[in-house]
Amino acid sequence: MIELVQILIEGALVGLVYGLVAISFVVIYRASKIINLAQGEVLVFGAFLLWTFTEGAAGMGYPLPLPVAIALTLAACVAFGWTIERSVFRPLIGQSGFTIFMAGVALLILLRGLAQLIWGAQSRSAPAILPEGALELGPFLVNTRLLIGAVFTIVLTQALHVFFTRSRLGLRLAAVAEDHTTAHSLGVSVRQAIAVAWIMGTVVATAAAVVLLSGSILSLEVAVIGFKALPVALLGGLESIRGAPLAGLIIGIFEALASAYLDPLTNGAASGLLPYVVMVAVLLIRPYGLFGWRKIERL
Amino acid sequence: MRPTGIWFSSYAAEARILETRRARAWLGLLSAGLVCLPLLTGPWLLGEMTNLFITMIAVCGLYVTVGMAGQINIAQSAFVGVGAFTAAKLSGLGAPIWAVIPAAALITGAVSVLFALPAARVKGFYLALTTLAAQVMFPIVILALPMSWLGGLVGLPVSPPSLFGIGLGTPSGLYFLGLAFAVLAVWTTYNLPRSRVGRAFRAVHDNDSVAGVMGIPVTRIKIAAFFAGALYAGVAGAILAYLLQFVTVSSFTLFASVWYLGMLIVGGLHSPLGPVLGVIFVTLVQEGLHSAGNAILQSGSGLGGGEVFAASSVVLGLCILAALIFEPRGLAHLWTQTMTAFRLWPFPRN
Repeated sequence: MIELVQILIEGALVGLVYGLVAISFVVIYRASKIINLAQGEVLVFGAFLLWTFTEGAAGMGYPLPLPVAIALTLAACVAFGWTIERSVFRPLIGQSGFTIFMAGVALLILLRGLAQLIWGAQSRSAPAILPEGALELGPFLVNTRLLIGAVFTIVLTQALHVFFTRSRLGLRLAAVAEDHTTAHSLGVSVRQAIAVAWIMGTVVATAAAVVLLSGSILSLEVAVIGFKALPVALLGGLESIRGAPLAGLIIGIFEALASAYLDPLTNGAASGLLPYVVMVAVLLIRPYGLFGWRKIERL
Repeated sequence: MRPTGIWFSSYAAEARILETRRARAWLGLLSAGLVCLPLLTGPWLLGEMTNLFITMIAVCGLYVTVGMAGQINIAQSAFVGVGAFTAAKLSGLGAPIWAVIPAAALITGAVSVLFALPAARVKGFYLALTTLAAQVMFPIVILALPMSWLGGLVGLPVSPPSLFGIGLGTPSGLYFLGLAFAVLAVWTTYNLPRSRVGRAFRAVHDNDSVAGVMGIPVTRIKIAAFFAGALYAGVAGAILAYLLQFVTVSSFTLFASVWYLGMLIVGGLHSPLGPVLGVIFVTLVQEGLHSAGNAILQSGSGLGGGEVFAASSVVLGLCILAALIFEPRGLAHLWTQTMTAFRLWPFPRN
C-alpha cells in the first residue's frame, strides 16, 4: 500500500512537469493558433540559454549572480520568441494551417541544427537552480525539485488562466486563436498576438526546462520531452490552460502505474507506449480533449 | 502551356507525359547515362546513388500521401523501417527477393492502414498526430518484442539478394535494384494523378467536404492515400535493408521522417517533379557540406561529423522556410519557370 501511494506521488509530480511543458504548447496555440511541433527544441534552446548565462559564463571567467543570470535568460527568451515571430510566422499570417504546420517542421530541423552548431552535441550538467533532495512526509519520500515544480505549475496555470480569460490582451489573443482573418478584420493585431504567444511559450518552456533538468544532464536528446507533452496537451484540450496540468496528472500517474506493474510483463514497453495509446484513444473518442473548444474541423 | 507549333493529331499523343520528341530524347540520354554509370565510377558514388534512389522512393510515397491527398504523414521513416524489418525477417527465412519486396510493401501498407483508421473520425492536424504516434511507438515496440522475432536492440542481419542466380549484393547490383524501383516509383507518381483514384486524392486535398458531396468516399480515399504512400515506403525499406545488410531501429527516427517531409516541401508539393528535385537538391547540399566539412577537417580545425550534419540541418531548415515563405510551389515550379524563360528567350516571360 505504501509502495502504491509512493508510485502515485511520483507519477503525479512527474505528470505536473509534463503538464508544464504542455502549457507551453497550449500558450502558443491559445494565442496564435499555431501547433508548434518544435516545442521540445524550444525547451532545449531555453535550457542552453540558461546554461550559457550560469555555467557557461562562470566557465568563461565571468560568474554572474543567479538573479542576473535568470534576468538575462528571460531577456534572451523574449528576443528569441520575437525573432521567430518576426522572421518565420509574420510572413505566413493568413496561410493555411498546413503551411504553418510545415513551418513548425522546418523550425524543428533548424533549431536542432543551430543548437548543435552553437553549443555542440556533448551532454553537460544543467545548472542546479532548484534544491535537490527529498522531503519526508510520514513514510513517503517527495522529491523537492519536483515538488517546487508542481507548486510552480499550479500557480502559473492559475495566473495564465486569469490572464487569458480576464485581461484585455488575453481576450484579444483568444480571438486570434479562433480565426486569424476574423481577428484581423476586427482590429486585433495578429502580429502582436503571435509575438506574445512565442515569447510566453519560450519563457514557459524555459521554466519547464529548469524544473525538468535542474541538477541533471542537459543534452540535445532532452527535446524528446516535447513529443511526450503533445499527448498531454491534446488530452487536456489544446485551448485549455487548466486542462494541461490535469491531463499531465492523469498521464503521469498512469505512466507510473504502468511502469511499476505492466513493464515487467511487457519487457519495458508499456510505460513508453501509454501516452501515445492515450493520444490515439483521445483522437478517436474526444478529439477536442477534456476541456478544449468543441470544434472538430481544425488544421 | 505548350509553345506555338506543337500540336497533336491523336489522342494518345495528347495524353503523353513527355510530349515532345526532344523531351523523350533527353530522357533517353539520362537513362543511358544512369545505366552506364556503374561502368564509369567506383563503389562510393554507386552507394551514394543507391541511397538517393531509396530516399527518392520514400519521398515519392510521401508525395502521394501529403502532396496529392493532403494528409500529413510524419511517420514515413517508421514505415520505411517496417519495410526494412519485414524484408530482413523474410530474407532470413530464405524468401527470394521477388517475394520479399512485394511482401514488405504490402505489410507496410497494412500497418499504415492501422494508423490511418482514425481518418473516419478526425481530420487534418489531428490525423497527423496518429502518424506521430506510429513513429514514436515503432522503436518501442521493436525493442520490446522478443529478441528472436525482430532482433530487439541488436538488429537483424539481411542475407544478400539474388535474382535468377545472379548475385545482387554487389554495389552495382544494388545500384540497379535501386534504379529499377526508383524508375518505377517516379513513373507511378507521374501517372497516379491521371487516374480515377488520383483525381479523388486531389479532390480530397482541395476540399474534403466538397469531395464528399461529389460522391467520393472521403474516409476510404484518405486511408487509401496512406496505404499507397506506405507501399512506396515498404519498397524503399526493403531495398535499404539489402543495402545496409543489417537493420536496427536507430536508423528509423522521427527526425528522418521530418527530413523526408523537408525534402518534399523544398522540391514542391504540387508536382510529381517535386520529390525528384527535392531529394536530388538536398542530397547535393548534404554532400557539398560533407566535402566542405572534410576539407576543413583536414585543414586541422576541431570540426567533427556531427557539426557537418548540424550544418546541413540548418541549411535544410532555412531552405524549407524559404520555400514556404517565398515559393510554396518549390523547386519544381522554379524548374518550369526556368524552362519557360529558356524557351521564350529573347522575349520576356510575361
